[in-house]
Amino acid sequence: MTAESAKAFEALEGQARDLVGLFGRAGYEFVAPAILQPASVFLDQIGEQVRARSYVFTDLAGEELCLRPDLTVPVSRLYLERHPLADAEARYCYNGPAFRFQPLGPSATHPREFRQAGVECFGASDKAAADVEVLLLATDAVRSAGLSGFRLRFGDIALFYALVDALDLPERWRVKLRHYFWRPPSFHALLDRLAKGERITPNGLVTALAEQLAGKGQAEAEDVVSAYLDAEGIPLAGNRTLREITARLLDQTADLYADTLPKEVATVIEYFLAVSAPPREAVDRIAMIAHGAGLDIDAALGVAARRFHLLEGAGIDLKAATFATEFGRKLEYYSGLVFQIEAPGMDETEPVAGGGRYDNLLTALGAPRPVPAVGSAIHTERLLAAVGRASS
Amino acid sequence: MSAPSLVIAVPSKGRLKEKAAELFDAAGFTLRVKGHERGYRGQLDGLPDVAVEYTSAAEIVHQLRSGRVHLGITGEDLVRETVHDVDGRIAFLMPLGFGHADVVVAVPECWLDVSRMADLEDVAEQFARNHGRGLRVATKYMNLTRRFFAKEGVTGYRIVESVGATEATPATGTSELIVDITSTGTTLKANHLKVLEDGLILKSQAHLLASKRAGWDARARELCERILSSLSQ
Repeated sequence: MTAESAKAFEALEGQARDLVGLFGRAGYEFVAPAILQPASVFLDQIGEQVRARSYVFTDLAGEELCLRPDLTVPVSRLYLERHPLADAEARYCYNGPAFRFQPLGPSATHPREFRQAGVECFGASDKAAADVEVLLLATDAVRSAGLSGFRLRFGDIALFYALVDALDLPERWRVKLRHYFWRPPSFHALLDRLAKGERITPNGLVTALAEQLAGKGQAEAEDVVSAYLDAEGIPLAGNRTLREITARLLDQTADLYADTLPKEVATVIEYFLAVSAPPREAVDRIAMIAHGAGLDIDAALGVAARRFHLLEGAGIDLKAATFATEFGRKLEYYSGLVFQIEAPGMDETEPVAGGGRYDNLLTALGAPRPVPAVGSAIHTERLLAAVGRASS
Repeated sequence: MSAPSLVIAVPSKGRLKEKAAELFDAAGFTLRVKGHERGYRGQLDGLPDVAVEYTSAAEIVHQLRSGRVHLGITGEDLVRETVHDVDGRIAFLMPLGFGHADVVVAVPECWLDVSRMADLEDVAEQFARNHGRGLRVATKYMNLTRRFFAKEGVTGYRIVESVGATEATPATGTSELIVDITSTGTTLKANHLKVLEDGLILKSQAHLLASKRAGWDARARELCERILSSLSQ
């Protein structure tokens, strides 16, 4: 990265001071989490692809560290340091650098070192109200920085989960669909097979054991597997338990004997994931798809509708916004609303701000109980560039 | 003494060193170590302006990448693991028929429910649910592993770097599965590991390699041609 001029630096700093000032007046306490983070937190929660996007290195003591790729995880860790019991409501704001490796080389809109200013809201039990609070704060912030004519894009992971819950499927298939949702290529391969009514054929070993396993409960099946391992002289290794190995063998046995899944399941999911429209229209369309398939996801749709109602009540014009069911499939820690703010003339891949709800992250980071959480971050360089372009 | 027209890097120890010497011998250019027997420079009989440098198999990759040597002999696994933009930097001139090693994905034999790469993603999901973390893959091939797993759509894992006795890590509990080299499979079998049906990442052997970044003047190209045609006979 070339050194930035003093003027550009001062402009960014000035903008950041204003943003953080606005967050502070809204009741968000300023925090400054560590820039160097233990890499294992990110590797365990996000996976090995973090390495392809982050600066991960080993220090002289052999500890794997990374330059934080975002501030949500560091701020969440800070919350847990302050509230180990995860029993307090807290609102934090921040401004500081984050770092991402850019495989195509750093560019003005995809720099490898950039600054994020944002907010995180932990423990607020009225989720829809907290979603709206954070989203309004983000739109107020970019507006106060001088941005106008921006577009909003929404998604809602909870709707997909509700749809999967409502489908008439064996639980093992629900687990698969929920997990693969975050891995679009594998997900589409899976849907393809469903649509064709293809059977998932297990390996030869499973087929050989299936006869002994069919119809057995977990405990009985474990005896079968244990006896087989003993007879073959195979020890248990690799940290997976006999219970886990047996559970998957039972799932595979069930697939072997079960009817293939109805093709309609794939069709409903495909229709659902094709929805992209202004929010109210999108909610109606999803309701139509669900009712057409005889599925009840009214509760999740009600939550989404209420959220949009609150937003409109607060003066947000949703007619120009987009709600896309596919949106937000990148970061697995999101669990509900996801959104981003797009400046005029900048495309979907370079939003000036983004955020969402991540109710499962804090337990994954070690919280002793679930903590509802929602946050938003502003890409400050992009915001400054977008405002500058509009005024020139 | 004038600077050599062509520099070849050759492994400095082990079977790769012996095999490389046999290879040049058979081609009619006997390899001679300069000075004492364990020196690090050598020459090819009949080619006085070719310098031979003995160095480690891993270092040869770096020398080729940066263009400090023209030619080198080392394993394809090391080249593909170490060099990010292989095609722009190194040319594979000739497979040499020795140093065979397969880079494979191996899991504990007791994972009766796992036989293919696609199983790993489901196992990762189950493992994360029960243990609160992803699968750990022990390997020294971090880049080959990452690329292969990404291609196969496996995401729920992390790599733990292992420089020795990788095959023992699932039994000791520091990993769940491994990516390692195998030639006969006996070591894996002895450690109660099995290779996944579609878990072959690379069928590696020693290659004669050329650096695209070295200074290739007319004489260097001519020498390279001569060596190459003698080796292919």
